[in-house]
Amino acid sequence: MQSLAFSSIKTLRELLDKKQISAAELLQYSINRFKTYDQKVGSALEVFDEKSIQDKSPRSGILAGIPGILKDNIAQEGRALTCASKILTNFTAIYDATATARLKEQGALLVGRANMDEFAMGSSTETSAFQKTANPWNLDCVPGGSGGGSVAAVAAGFVPWSLGSDTGGSVRQPSAFCGIVGMKPTYGLISRYGLVAYGSSLDQIGVSARTVYDTALVTSVIAGNDKNDSSTLAVEPKDYTKTLNGKLRDGLKIGIVSNAINAAGMDNEVVAAIQDAVATLQKLGAQVSTVALPALDYSAAAYFIISRAEAASNLARFDGVRYGLRDKSAKTLSKMYFNTRHDGFGPEVRSRILVGNYVLSAGHAGDFYGNAKLVQRLIRREFLDAFKNFDLLVMPTHPAPAFKFGAFDVDKLQMDLQDYFTCPVNLAGIPAISIPCGFTKSKMPIGFQIVGPHLSEDLIFQTAHAYEQATTWHTMHPDMFKD
Amino acid sequence: MTKISKEEVLKIARMSHLDIHEDEIPALMKQLNDVLSYAERVKEVTTTVEEPSMRNVNVFREDVATPSDSASILAEAPEREGTYFVVPAILEHNE
Repeated sequence: MQSLAFSSIKTLRELLDKKQISAAELLQYSINRFKTYDQKVGSALEVFDEKSIQDKSPRSGILAGIPGILKDNIAQEGRALTCASKILTNFTAIYDATATARLKEQGALLVGRANMDEFAMGSSTETSAFQKTANPWNLDCVPGGSGGGSVAAVAAGFVPWSLGSDTGGSVRQPSAFCGIVGMKPTYGLISRYGLVAYGSSLDQIGVSARTVYDTALVTSVIAGNDKNDSSTLAVEPKDYTKTLNGKLRDGLKIGIVSNAINAAGMDNEVVAAIQDAVATLQKLGAQVSTVALPALDYSAAAYFIISRAEAASNLARFDGVRYGLRDKSAKTLSKMYFNTRHDGFGPEVRSRILVGNYVLSAGHAGDFYGNAKLVQRLIRREFLDAFKNFDLLVMPTHPAPAFKFGAFDVDKLQMDLQDYFTCPVNLAGIPAISIPCGFTKSKMPIGFQIVGPHLSEDLIFQTAHAYEQATTWHTMHPDMFKD
Repeated sequence: MTKISKEEVLKIARMSHLDIHEDEIPALMKQLNDVLSYAERVKEVTTTVEEPSMRNVNVFREDVATPSDSASILAEAPEREGTYFVVPAILEHNE
């Protein structure tokens, strides 16, 4: 029998249905994996006790008995919700996020809270106020971020799937760094009710898993309109696994984004792996040619401004009055605000709030935020124009493989370039998947993105699945976590 | 290109209700100056291109009260009295 640690949801479902394993045994197994190995990885901020996990979900449904973990910015009723920030250390979620509720309805077992960059601000999970998370492929390297915990737990074989949130790449980039699949759906496909807001015009919940099928399955459970989030689209839930037949759609046209793959600073091994992936797609029958998206080169700047501005507004609510940390020593309200926010927020969060309020301040808002929003529209237009000639686009997920801890301590802005290929997708509001396409010589995973027009999740999953079935990357797992 | 002064950094920090320690100022000044260069970069395109704004739609729902559990919300407060949030004195008073 295949190791349970790296079994897909599909395989686990069969084992459960044939009663070769019970849901209780599987849950116990997953919890034990965390106990045995998570000291090395640091993926979870908390693993709940077995009974409380079981009590929260029914024993039937599409994900019945299947363990998974949620990023700690997605509310789980009665559980702590910290965003890996000191300012929320004592906060308990008083309701389920819509995504959480839908997972529970389908029987999923939610085993814990995953580590992340504080308030999802970072690309390495190093800004967490509580702990570092290591890349399961090399413990000296970061797992990517901001959803490093969610992704590392899946890559190390603790759970088969996880949820993250993707504002500029926080699901896709860590998934690529850790050699698994990560999906950022269309803006508005998945409710953000119960997701702690970061950049509201960009945030979207997304799934990571070790196979495309599993990613599609969990996405199917959480997608669709929600009356509690007016930004959700009028889309009914559907089963995204139905189109996964291992083949490409007839006459599928794929555009390779030339100025992305030829961008300065692209690692040679990453480029070579993506070129191989393109060749595989061609062999499978795709018609491939190149396309340039010049506005892409402005996306990092626009993303920087928009995300900081929206973060500053969203994080104004953390003031020590209604919930979370409060500095008890302050004699006046004003002093309490200042002390609470200084002690509660880490340096990265404080600096983003400051930058955000600067770009929104009187006299600057038009030049900064207004212009950045214009660039956002431009990027969106370029993508939509490209989709007149192509069904899907291929781009890198990341310029280089996972880096060592502290690699960007000196120049934090360089870290932002991690988002170079992922943030334009958020700016355009379109869906994209990152899937594994190889390894470097030093055995670090490489991923690439398949990007589609609004609500093309079906086609993206089908294409990614056909590619996956033609390759073996998804069958490779880090040695040190094998059973 | 204009540069951001220390006074400006402190002003933005005050507006943001953030205490900035002296040793944090240089890094923040660098960050804010980087923003300026980003803004310049964004301006490069925006002076030559026009792109109409996206159409936004209003999403309406019936304005009806639904029950919610105020006790558990209040339980999260650092300090409370009955159904009120308690905060320190708003005005400073000299003793």
